[in-house]
Amino acid sequence: MTDLKGEASLIKQAQSGDAKAFEALLNQHYDTLFRFAFKWCGKREDAEDIAQQSCIKLARGLEQFRFESSFTSWLYRLVINCAKDWQKNQARHSSSRLQENTIDKNAAEESAQGHFKYDQGFETTILVRQLLNQLEDLADGMKETALLVHAEGFTHKEAATILGLKESTISWRIHEIRKQLQPAFGREAR
Amino acid sequence: MKDENSNTTTADKLLSEINSPATDSRAKTRAIRLAMSEFTQHQQEKSAASANKNNRKSQGFWLYLRPISNFFNRKKTMQIVNNKFLYSGLATLSIALVGTTLFQQSYRTNTDIQTGALTETTKKLEDFEDDINVNRLSTEPKAAPLATAPLPESISSELEISHLGNNQPAPLVSDRSFNNSTGSSIRKKIENSSEVRQAKKISLEQGAQNDKAHQTTYSAQGRDKFSTIKTNTIKRVEEEPVSTFSIDVDTASYSFVRRQLNQGVLPQKNAVRAEELINYFDYNYPLPENKSRPFKPSIIVRPSPWNQGRELIHIGIKGYELDKTKLPRSNIVLLLDVSGSMNSQDKLPLVKQSMSMLLDSLRPDDTVGIVVYAGAAGTVLEPTAVKEKQKILNSLKRLNAGGSTAGGEGIQLAYQLAEMNFDKQAVNRIMLATDGDFNVGIRDSEELKSFVERKRDQGIFLSVLGFGQGNYNDELMQTLAQNGNGIASYIDSLSEAQKVLVNESTSSLFPIAKDVKIQVEFNPDTVSEYRLVGYETRHLNREDFNNDKIDAGDIGAGHSISAIYEITPKDSKAKPASDPLRYTNKQVQAEPASLRNEYGFVKIRYKLPEQNSSQLISQVIKSNQRTYSRELVRDADFASAVAGFAQLLRGGEFINDYSYSDVIETAQENKGRDEFGYRTEFIQLARKAQIANEM
Repeated sequence: MTDLKGEASLIKQAQSGDAKAFEALLNQHYDTLFRFAFKWCGKREDAEDIAQQSCIKLARGLEQFRFESSFTSWLYRLVINCAKDWQKNQARHSSSRLQENTIDKNAAEESAQGHFKYDQGFETTILVRQLLNQLEDLADGMKETALLVHAEGFTHKEAATILGLKESTISWRIHEIRKQLQPAFGREAR
Repeated sequence: MKDENSNTTTADKLLSEINSPATDSRAKTRAIRLAMSEFTQHQQEKSAASANKNNRKSQGFWLYLRPISNFFNRKKTMQIVNNKFLYSGLATLSIALVGTTLFQQSYRTNTDIQTGALTETTKKLEDFEDDINVNRLSTEPKAAPLATAPLPESISSELEISHLGNNQPAPLVSDRSFNNSTGSSIRKKIENSSEVRQAKKISLEQGAQNDKAHQTTYSAQGRDKFSTIKTNTIKRVEEEPVSTFSIDVDTASYSFVRRQLNQGVLPQKNAVRAEELINYFDYNYPLPENKSRPFKPSIIVRPSPWNQGRELIHIGIKGYELDKTKLPRSNIVLLLDVSGSMNSQDKLPLVKQSMSMLLDSLRPDDTVGIVVYAGAAGTVLEPTAVKEKQKILNSLKRLNAGGSTAGGEGIQLAYQLAEMNFDKQAVNRIMLATDGDFNVGIRDSEELKSFVERKRDQGIFLSVLGFGQGNYNDELMQTLAQNGNGIASYIDSLSEAQKVLVNESTSSLFPIAKDVKIQVEFNPDTVSEYRLVGYETRHLNREDFNNDKIDAGDIGAGHSISAIYEITPKDSKAKPASDPLRYTNKQVQAEPASLRNEYGFVKIRYKLPEQNSSQLISQVIKSNQRTYSRELVRDADFASAVAGFAQLLRGGEFINDYSYSDVIETAQENKGRDEFGYRTEFIQLARKAQIANEM
């Protein structure tokens, strides 16, 4: 982050096969990967899975980075793809939706205890998880848009570059999400 | 419209508030290590590939000399490859044709051999096919015995049980205990209990009257209604050797107590039902070996933490877990209270939120209907498949509290809807969500009760979810859920909704046994006194145990239930609570030595959900067994901490100087894995109670 030139040269080194440079890159960006992955799924273990997948994918895909956009936004796209792939896998592995719900949630609760107390924080987790589920049910592309804009705080324009879309598309999507989101979330997490 | 805006901003805010936890360094290094190995592998592959590329280039020169040149038209090559079976087939055919004609013409004898060989191979092929058929056949009967296998076993186990029962000199003991004095005491008890019933009836009627009073004011405070509980006392085994009760899987009392304690107030004594506090937690009792019996009792004897020299007998039951893929369909009708009193943050909004959580745990082909009562009485949603989730959510969204309580025919309507969609194979259930305003159409509480009872026998069950406080009518809710074969839960927060409707949805929705009763007979030779902790509201008469007409509690899939007896062994130094009698007949028949190490005998009666006659499980309480698995001991000790807590809240008449700090200490030691943090939460509650108590 501090010097973009240093990062660019690091990427170039890694692209030409320098393992050290690649490791340094991973070290720098793992946190970003993990953080966004967590926002995607709301569960620590799953987020770690996704982040790990992204790192592995990066090992092969780094050379496809052409310096056309900033490296971080390119990374976001990578995580989004990984998260989607991962979700497809999950859906395939758990035969019924019920199973996925209960078992996954159990595991999630276990992990959630680590950083949420049982009072307000815990309730927020449940709310967040529900919200994420609902975003899931919306049309394709809505979830990443919502997460980039609301959770990561990108402007519509920035989100547009990350997703490779027009700014107006992002604005339309955000509007649409607002319209469709369940009013069940009217219950304030006091 | 204002509402709409606040909704969306909440969602936005919620998203922006997700704070992802700090990265786990171990996960990070693992991910990086994996990525590094992938990276190096990729680099190697790349260099290998580039080497290969060079090789191929040198081959390029010879390309023109290949029989099929793919230089200009690669598609053609692919076509040939794709049709290779056709080409090779044609080639083989022509060779075979030429071959056979050649053979036929020149070597007659040779062809005979050839055809012989051919027929032999075809025969072999046929044999092989036969083999396959046989295999196919043989797999079928294999599956069949699997399906039938549990049956004979269950028969044999039943035989074994009845056999065991006969072996016990139980009738002998009961004969003996029927001397004059006890006979009269039992009669007295029967009279007493009928008095209690009458009293209960009166209180129910009062409840109905109070309900009427409630209609006028909505800002109800401190009108939470609980039936009075008289704590179980210490009983002498010589006088009353048999203790009978119905199981109770409700947990409403715990949530209510928690709510009060979280507000810094000690709950009223009648709100504390020890068994519901104990059963709030999940215990890992061993599961039954086969499913012909839905559960298996585990008996653990531990020294009593409350009184030196006494002992605790834990009777634990855990119902088997249903196979998640083979759950029956659910046909659910939500009966929601939308009267003005529900207009509070912890009522209707929480109801809506909880119901949408419930939707998440249902499966696509389950159906949900919604009926509301009060101002907007009527059907809001005809039974709709969960597949159309959005439609259900939308109708939930439209509900709002308000208006006068217009009575209406809420409950009849709900049952009508459930009947309309009745499915014999499915679990048909009405879920009533209310804050205690039982203005559901039938005014008289007794009539309401029998209405629910009748419908239960037709196969429609009723569960009750309680919300809010101030107007909470625990008594009637308990009665209704008990008569409707359902659970009564108190939802005070989203996390409780998550527990009841999502994590434990299978236990809340699918019963595996109904009318479960427990009867314990103590051995007067080894036990002088006993006391049952909790289950006061579930007391049954001795003769009710074998009477299948008497209703009792139900067990859902995966439910765990514990009952705790505190006993004074005969040989213990602890002084019995009451003096021995001077005049009762002390001549006791000598018992066989084999019974000397038995504290008592546990019998459990239950019915399978679709049956009307009960089955019996029995087990001996051994006095000399002291070794159990560590997990079992941990669970038992945790349960006794909860039991101690409940008794403290109820005044602690029988537990000496056992204090909240003892509760905290024991609970802390036996917290175990505590997957959901419920046990940790319990410790917090004990601390809060300690503080509230000191104030």
